[in-house]
Amino acid sequence: MSEGSNSVLIPGRTGRADGRAGLLVRECQGLALASLVARRGRVREAAEAARAAFGVALPLVARAAGNERVTFVWAGPGQWLVETSDARGDIEAFLAPALGSLAAICDQSDSRVVIELAGTAVRDVLAKGVPIDLHPRAFGVGDVALTAAHHVGLHLRQVSEEPRYRISVVRSYFGSFRHWLESSAAEFGCEVLAPLGAG
Amino acid sequence: MSGGASTQPRRLASGGAIDRSQPLEFRFDGRTYTGYAGDTLASALVANGVRLLGRSFKYHRPRGLLCAGPEEPNALVELRDGARREPNTRATVVELFGGLEAASQNRWPSLAFDVLAVNRWLGPVFAAGFYYKTFMWPAAFWERLYEPLIRRAAGLGRIATGPDPDGYEKSYAFCDLLVIGAGPAGLAAALTAGRAGLRVLLIDEDFLPGGRLNAERQLLDGRPAREWAAAAVAELGSLPSVRLMRRTTVVGCYDHGVYGALERVHDHRPAPPPFEPRQRLWRIACRHCVLASGAYERPLLFGDNDLPGVMLAGAVRTYANRFAALAGRRAVVFADNDEGAVTAADLVAAGADVVALVDPRTAPGATGVERIAGVVRRAIGGQGLRGVEILAADGSVRRIACDLLAMSGGWSPALQLTAHHGGRPRWDDRLGTFLPGTLPAGMMVAGAANGDFTTEAALAAGVRAALAAAAALGHAAAPVALPSVSPESVGHRPLWEVAGTRGKCFVDFQHDVAVTDIELAEREGYRAAEHMKRYTTLGMATDQGKTASLNGLAVLAARTGRSIAATGTTTFRPPVVPVAIGALAGTHRGRDFRPLRLTAAHAWAVEQGAIFMETGPWLRAQYFPRPGEPTWLESVTREVNATRQAVGVCDVSTLGKIDLQGPDACEFLERLYVNGWRTLAVGRARYGLMLREDGMVMDDGTVSRLGEHRYLITTTTANAVAVFQHMQWCHQVLWPGLDVQFVSVSDQWAQYSVAGPRARELLRAVVAAEHDLSNEAFPYMAAGTLRLRDDTVARLFRISFSGEHAYEIAVPARAGERVVRMLMAAGAPLGVTPYGLEALGAMRIEKGHVAGNELSGQTTAHDLGFGKMLSTKKDYIGAVLARRAALTDPDRPRLVGLAPVGRGDRFGAGAHLVRRGVEPVAAADEGYVTSAAFSPTLGHWIGLGLLRRGPERHGERVVAFDPLRGRRTELEVRDPVFVDPAGERLRV
Amino acid sequence: MRIPCPHCGLRGHEEFAYLGDATLRRPDPAAPDAERAFAEYAYRRDNPAGRHRELWYHAQGCGTWLVVERDTLTHEIGRVTEAREQGGS
Repeated sequence: MSEGSNSVLIPGRTGRADGRAGLLVRECQGLALASLVARRGRVREAAEAARAAFGVALPLVARAAGNERVTFVWAGPGQWLVETSDARGDIEAFLAPALGSLAAICDQSDSRVVIELAGTAVRDVLAKGVPIDLHPRAFGVGDVALTAAHHVGLHLRQVSEEPRYRISVVRSYFGSFRHWLESSAAEFGCEVLAPLGAG
Repeated sequence: MSGGASTQPRRLASGGAIDRSQPLEFRFDGRTYTGYAGDTLASALVANGVRLLGRSFKYHRPRGLLCAGPEEPNALVELRDGARREPNTRATVVELFGGLEAASQNRWPSLAFDVLAVNRWLGPVFAAGFYYKTFMWPAAFWERLYEPLIRRAAGLGRIATGPDPDGYEKSYAFCDLLVIGAGPAGLAAALTAGRAGLRVLLIDEDFLPGGRLNAERQLLDGRPAREWAAAAVAELGSLPSVRLMRRTTVVGCYDHGVYGALERVHDHRPAPPPFEPRQRLWRIACRHCVLASGAYERPLLFGDNDLPGVMLAGAVRTYANRFAALAGRRAVVFADNDEGAVTAADLVAAGADVVALVDPRTAPGATGVERIAGVVRRAIGGQGLRGVEILAADGSVRRIACDLLAMSGGWSPALQLTAHHGGRPRWDDRLGTFLPGTLPAGMMVAGAANGDFTTEAALAAGVRAALAAAAALGHAAAPVALPSVSPESVGHRPLWEVAGTRGKCFVDFQHDVAVTDIELAEREGYRAAEHMKRYTTLGMATDQGKTASLNGLAVLAARTGRSIAATGTTTFRPPVVPVAIGALAGTHRGRDFRPLRLTAAHAWAVEQGAIFMETGPWLRAQYFPRPGEPTWLESVTREVNATRQAVGVCDVSTLGKIDLQGPDACEFLERLYVNGWRTLAVGRARYGLMLREDGMVMDDGTVSRLGEHRYLITTTTANAVAVFQHMQWCHQVLWPGLDVQFVSVSDQWAQYSVAGPRARELLRAVVAAEHDLSNEAFPYMAAGTLRLRDDTVARLFRISFSGEHAYEIAVPARAGERVVRMLMAAGAPLGVTPYGLEALGAMRIEKGHVAGNELSGQTTAHDLGFGKMLSTKKDYIGAVLARRAALTDPDRPRLVGLAPVGRGDRFGAGAHLVRRGVEPVAAADEGYVTSAAFSPTLGHWIGLGLLRRGPERHGERVVAFDPLRGRRTELEVRDPVFVDPAGERLRV
Repeated sequence: MRIPCPHCGLRGHEEFAYLGDATLRRPDPAAPDAERAFAEYAYRRDNPAGRHRELWYHAQGCGTWLVVERDTLTHEIGRVTEAREQGGS
């Protein structure tokens, strides 16, 4: 895969070839994404409306909250990134009945590449660019951070204890981000797994 | 030469923290030697009896080791060879590895015979301030003669000329407690905090943690100190919240608990293993810090104190005790403190013949060593020490033969990091040294760095500091049980300098600054510490005067009649040790200097053979060469002609796109833009112009109304981020009461311009049949959502930058590459061509459209011909100041079109515009060419420019003066719109 | 420097963009001396030694404009609030 493309991840191993790869990467496909921005003064109403419609309230701090249908990822005060694989091609229409009067909804399904990172060296790899503390005492499952690595903006959250992180990166920067990630993981070995949710 | 290696004649038969089962061969100045794992290059050279390691900076005096640690001023060597050659490396911190290649520096032709040692006899020429005095004139001589001569005569090592083959990287670390230094204080602090469960980062620059515990014959709990240190390190390794980083130096203390550290990951190997960096620069954020960086021993000032064989006493003990290497067989010890006796005892224990212990004080001696109350007045020798001249307290003078002089003038805390925030060290009369003063927030100092010069005090101070940090963080911590320490004695009465010396008496060994240089500086009026430093260059070498500063201040104080406290220290700045530029750059090299943004159809453009250019972070197609086109000009001409005559496709995905919603969206636009939005209907687009509050143009673009309360804003590629930030500022800071929501959708949509008389035909072929694209149904400046024949959702905007009948079609980014291929396939029968930025630029200049060159941040709406757009019915950002007389002055340079009078002439952007027949000087400058291009449509070069009173001067001839390219072109001033001034093509 | 963003926690200053004095208020464009007031607003800045209320934008984070109290001599940071809480001009 050339650096000069934004083609997403192709399964295979890069970097150190012996032993188990320290970083495991997989793309999350088949997700619909939308940004949700509460109308002025309607944050709490919107949070409750989300709970009523989807069973999950919008998190009011830097956390993610979700169920099997939908996940709301905090994206700034009064803002969320909605992730779902249940939108049937139109995430704006999916969200509008419950939230359309309380928030601006905007399809972002194509604007980000979403990947998951795991492996024994995942924290060491991320420490080479992510300027925030990912130690379990500082950042745990459900925690969300907006930050940047190697000058590329990241929306990052921890999705399980092992630890596993989910990161979304704007699509046009993904080639550069992938190159940084693979270079940073090279000393530990980097394994790209088959995509999640393909087809 | 393998097998011919020397036999380490100065290696002791036993002892030391070296691994005798792992002999390592290395080369120094072409000769092969053997050392052991656990050696430094310096200790291995000591073990091999090598004393002469380099020549000094100015006088080319022979020099050997002074120290055993990072403060070493003399023993600078070049390591490795070829592209990995690294100059000015301190032999004392180079961990020995098999195959190490090292060479001495600053000598020619060889270390033992150095031609430029003649500089020693030119001493007066090289005295303090010589740069300022000697080479002043004639000026031309400086570059041609003096500078090359000085560079050859006085200098350090040679840098590698090839690109560095190794990788460097950066990393972040976070902790509750950062402990700097793993000597007794640091280990005690880390153990205390680690057992309490704090997240501890313990950093040590050595490969063997322990600090002076590894170098002294002290007993802790009856065991060698080194064993206690090893046990502590082992326990720290078992604590899950503690991380120990070896071979790492903390180089700077920054605000709010941020520290910089350099990890020499693989400097102790010939080359890093695959995929691993050579060095790593850490940015550490901690809540508290215990600085346990130890202290540097001071040399004593007497004649020819720089001879190889004159060494700091602590270093002599380190070589003997840690490395089992004897620095000399017949030794004299000269100290003004109780460690003289320790040194003498250690040397005796190591089997050396200690012939005298010289101490100006009446202090206890060591068993079996002659004690002389007095001073060493002078060292004697040529390329190495052969003896010393002693002036006893009774006035008698004796000469004693020896090959080693171990000296000690007491210890100075390594307090640089305490002073990086401007904290001034404070003088301590009892200890005779400076101690840390006001500390950076969150920092505590423990051990020798704080004047706790006994092991017992250092251990206790480490525990205390860690307990304080734990308490501040709300952790319950228990003091660790400290070991009993064998008796220590640290009595000290600073001697500072030996009176009545003969020979040169060096203070700063690396920069060859002697006592006489400080005296000269003082005589010439440089009496302040900072002035003396700069005039003599004392402390300005790569070692930053770690062994020299305090001695220099003491000499200055004595000459000025002030106390050392009143003389004060100079300023300490990061980094504490030299850091390679490569480490500071990390992975930001070459292609990775900064990240690149690629559009969704990048792979398609690559396939089309595009030549790319960087525009901001983006990589964009500049033009698409075809066979038989020798230069870009032929390609661009073809692309423009094909577009103007048939249809062209251009990737314009890089434009900034912002989705704006909310009940107050229209009001927000009213306040952001100079023009009005209330009449913009759903399904229509409009050009908009934004000012900064100072009245200058900020950006332009289109706004399309997608729904009742939903708009899509486009920005220029260059200003996409700035405009979004500006909108956030306006909304959050100025008008938080407006109910608007906006997000960037720049990456959501791939967007393609489809331009040319056959654009509609092309779109007809890809857009689903139910959509009416007729001029009536979808006129100029229409905007709408529709479906393509393959069911892709698209947004279509009938807007034009080229001046042709044109559209921009936006599709979700993942569909971008597919759609551009669809457009090209559908357009093939129509003669479609892809066009790049050059053709785009040529066509917008033909059409007189402004772009980045004109939106320079220094132009007003009036300058660019947009004066009529400025609404007078509303307030908007920039409204008041845009009306200032100076900004609407018709005398300002304003937008014009420019065409060469001689149609074959060429001119370029940046050329200055002056009246014909006028001397082209700055005073005659009337403006400049902002953009120029070859116009395929007109068949000659055209341009846009800003010309004083330009709109009033159409038809006039001016001269474009371009000294950079050596051109002077006569131009005709004209209307900026060269093609289709009536705009008929847009509306068909 | 590390700035405590009220939403994101302590972050390095490189995530932020700086815009200076947070106490300025956009003048009334309809006032008779509007041009003079706007010129002051656009160009005139004090350069205080000590406490300073200043605007920082968390560009690489949550996108919030913050009012940060910072001592320009020591870099000590005091209260950090959202600029929108000031209520605008």
